[in-house]
Amino acid sequence: MIAEMVKDRDGVNERVSEAVEKAHALQESLNAVITFVDPAKQLEEMPEEGLLRGVPIALKDNVNTKGILTTAGSRILSNYVPIYDAEIAVRLQKAGAINIAKASMDELAMGGTNKTAYIGPCHNPWDTRRMTGGSSGGSAALVAAGVVPMAIGSDTGDSVRKPASYCGIVGVKPTYGRISRYGIIPYASSLDHVGYFTRNIKDACVTLKVLAGRDERDMTSSFKEVPDYSALLNSDVTGKKIAILKNVVDGVSTPEIVTMFNGLAEKLRKRGAIVEEYAFDEALMRAILPAYFIIANCEATSNHSNLDGIRFGVREDGADMAEIMTNSRTKGFCSLIRRRFVIGSYGLFEENQERIFRKAQKVRRKIVEALDECLKEYDAVIAPAAGTIAPFIDDQADQDALGEESVVAENYMAIANFSGYPSLTQPMGFVDGCPVGVNITCRGFEEVEMFNIAKAIEEETGLADLVAEVK
Amino acid sequence: MEYDVTIGIEIHCQLKTDTKMFSGAPTSFGRKANTCVNEIDLGMPGVLPEVNREAVKKAVMACTALHLDIDPLVKFDRKNYYYSDLPKGFQITQQFHPIGRNGYVEIETAEGKKKIRINRIHMEEDTAKQFHLTKFSLLDFNRAGTPLIEIVSEPDMHSGEEAEAYVEALRQTLYYIGVSDCRMEEGSMRCDTNVSISPKGSGVLGTKNEIKNLNSISHIGKAVNYEIERQKKLLEAGEKVLQETRRFDEKSGETVLMRRKEGNVDYKFFPEPNIFPIRLSDEWIKDIQDNMPELPQARKERYKSEYGLSDHDIGILISNKEMSDYFETVTKFTANAKSACNWLLSDISAWLNTHETTIDQAQLNPENLAKLIAMIDDGKISNAQAKKLVDDLMAGKDPETAAKEKGLEQVSDTGAIAAMVNEVMDANPQAIEDFRNGKSRAVGFIVGQVMKKSRGQANPGMVSRMVNEELAKRIS
Repeated sequence: MIAEMVKDRDGVNERVSEAVEKAHALQESLNAVITFVDPAKQLEEMPEEGLLRGVPIALKDNVNTKGILTTAGSRILSNYVPIYDAEIAVRLQKAGAINIAKASMDELAMGGTNKTAYIGPCHNPWDTRRMTGGSSGGSAALVAAGVVPMAIGSDTGDSVRKPASYCGIVGVKPTYGRISRYGIIPYASSLDHVGYFTRNIKDACVTLKVLAGRDERDMTSSFKEVPDYSALLNSDVTGKKIAILKNVVDGVSTPEIVTMFNGLAEKLRKRGAIVEEYAFDEALMRAILPAYFIIANCEATSNHSNLDGIRFGVREDGADMAEIMTNSRTKGFCSLIRRRFVIGSYGLFEENQERIFRKAQKVRRKIVEALDECLKEYDAVIAPAAGTIAPFIDDQADQDALGEESVVAENYMAIANFSGYPSLTQPMGFVDGCPVGVNITCRGFEEVEMFNIAKAIEEETGLADLVAEVK
Repeated sequence: MEYDVTIGIEIHCQLKTDTKMFSGAPTSFGRKANTCVNEIDLGMPGVLPEVNREAVKKAVMACTALHLDIDPLVKFDRKNYYYSDLPKGFQITQQFHPIGRNGYVEIETAEGKKKIRINRIHMEEDTAKQFHLTKFSLLDFNRAGTPLIEIVSEPDMHSGEEAEAYVEALRQTLYYIGVSDCRMEEGSMRCDTNVSISPKGSGVLGTKNEIKNLNSISHIGKAVNYEIERQKKLLEAGEKVLQETRRFDEKSGETVLMRRKEGNVDYKFFPEPNIFPIRLSDEWIKDIQDNMPELPQARKERYKSEYGLSDHDIGILISNKEMSDYFETVTKFTANAKSACNWLLSDISAWLNTHETTIDQAQLNPENLAKLIAMIDDGKISNAQAKKLVDDLMAGKDPETAAKEKGLEQVSDTGAIAAMVNEVMDANPQAIEDFRNGKSRAVGFIVGQVMKKSRGQANPGMVSRMVNEELAKRIS
């Protein structure tokens, strides 16, 4: 789809206008956009060539865009206009992409519902009573509703791959270090990844080629050469060894999803893949969420210490600078975020750090070692990306609650953030008219392998280029 | 009662690099506020640190010069605290793995040489500068992110003099190897001094007080000595020394309470996730170490063996690197290093002081100074005459030309001097009579008269010799 758009050089203006109009038209029902970006200047300055030339896109609102409001979904940044561009914003521009919107997200990307965005929840295009999932919900909604063929997200636990499941699209989180994080407002630095949404695997290949590559300003970015993903794409899975994450499948609460998934596994076997169940130590799998929760919130409380109302952002009055900082932070964040900062801070205190933060890091290593063990034998691990279709927005479940039956099935995808390994979600089928996704995780920097398995799945399901008709 | 004094010093030293510790913005001093900053220095959302290679190199040099063991695996940590001069809300530092451990510096004390141990050197970034005015505060982020090393001593010093000598030794060393400007008055070298006292021989450390705001080396000794006396008075009055941070007040020469320490602040240190550990290759470290500039200690020894200068002169020369460098240049043009040293440390230093400038700013040409020394040594002009040429020399003039212009040529012509000697003696028969009667001061009188007659231009050595010869002749 993207490649065809780029070939249609005469259709750029019309295509971009249509996207802008559609985004505006759907805003009332989806609430997916925080800031609409005027494409006029970008169209003027568009390069003659580029893998995304004239393709309308959207950026999650934690991508710094020079001169354009960037809120990260938070009240405290609701007046923040960056003085610089994120590395990926520059790369996209050079590739000719036209940014038409800054998309809604959970506050500071610290959520999985997109209900904590300061502009209010984002609605799922397949059923607007339902959530998109988060934290990259706005980007997912815009791609699923057919506004743009690609949108940038970010993924710290599953913030691209979960919404992709709920919205029936492809959500990719490449290897840690594959895409520069410079200029992405962080959540937790050791877990944060730039990710993105497309409506088919081919587009995912094109997009990664644009985004990937070493950036001097991100010391964790990789020097590894960027392959030509599109050229290398094939759907041959003959002899590929694929592990089914048994712990996840066992924890899926929706029987139709299990049936659907097993059917898909069978189809892959018929294509010549070796698909086998693989059980991880259940205790380790259950430790994913608490370990994730601790590491993410500890890093987040430090990362977001710069949000103090002094140099940028919404400043509240106070008698002195300390009071200004306290008041700005108290009023600038929602209560969920403040609670998480307190928890993160608690985990970092000297007297707690060893038994909380450092222990969580050790658990993280154990989990990665278990994954490595599995990937020694298998080329990929797969499982349903979610145990349910998108929940209703007014479902009052506590996001931070632990201990439920589905704790593994709903949170395991953070394993790819722990390891930094490439992982993607793509549509697998529908339950009650709402999409459900399947997730694939491969070894570090084996995106080509991942795309090939995904392409095989796409051919089997026939679920590519889905567009939700928003009602 | 007698007391043991224990002093430990933490020094923050700005590294001399073109750009900041973790950003590409230029480092600066005295530039217009907030002009040397980028999004990283301002702690804007989404920025990431990029380690400055040059800063790491300078830190390696500092560790080498101060005999520390270098950790080739460079790691950084976050120190978390909220303060308006700290843009990110955390400082990137090296809490858990400092780049250097276990070194020392040698100081001169009244009892001879002494080693002061250095516990660690670590790299970190500087904060912004704050200006608190009555109704508002101003923040200048130019300094934010400037590379620093923190040098932490062991508590090995026991007097204000030792503390001063320690800081001076560090200042000299770091300045000589080009790691830092070490300007205490401008804050590129900042010194926090911890002082505690305890009853002599008790073996128990007393409660320490930290003294800040020491912006010259001489303040350190004063502050420490004041603090020792203050703590003594407290203890002798039966009071307790409380753990405090104090500030040195230049005017009163006293230390003043800034804040009491109530428990330690928890900085929630944890490893910086955005910087993977960096492995310094052995070759890279070796290359830096093989190309170290000369250390002041080595230079001292060389001055002694190569030029035979006195310890006193060496001390003064070395304490001013520019003067010392200049001295070395002059010695390329003259073999009389002692004379070069004398000129630089006396007349030329005096001239620089009067004109409030420094040797590296002055127009003095090293070749001209060497020429002047040669003119004296060759008897072409006298020392006294040479002193009259200092202004010309400092204006960049050739001393020969200047001497000619001023008519300052020493008369070394035997005939001319003999004529003057005879004239003076003929005119002063009484002096000859005095000499005959054993009054040796008559010689000085006649020499003085001859010099006067020559308007100071006669070679005094020759005059003296010829007066003696002539007197001997006349009384025989």
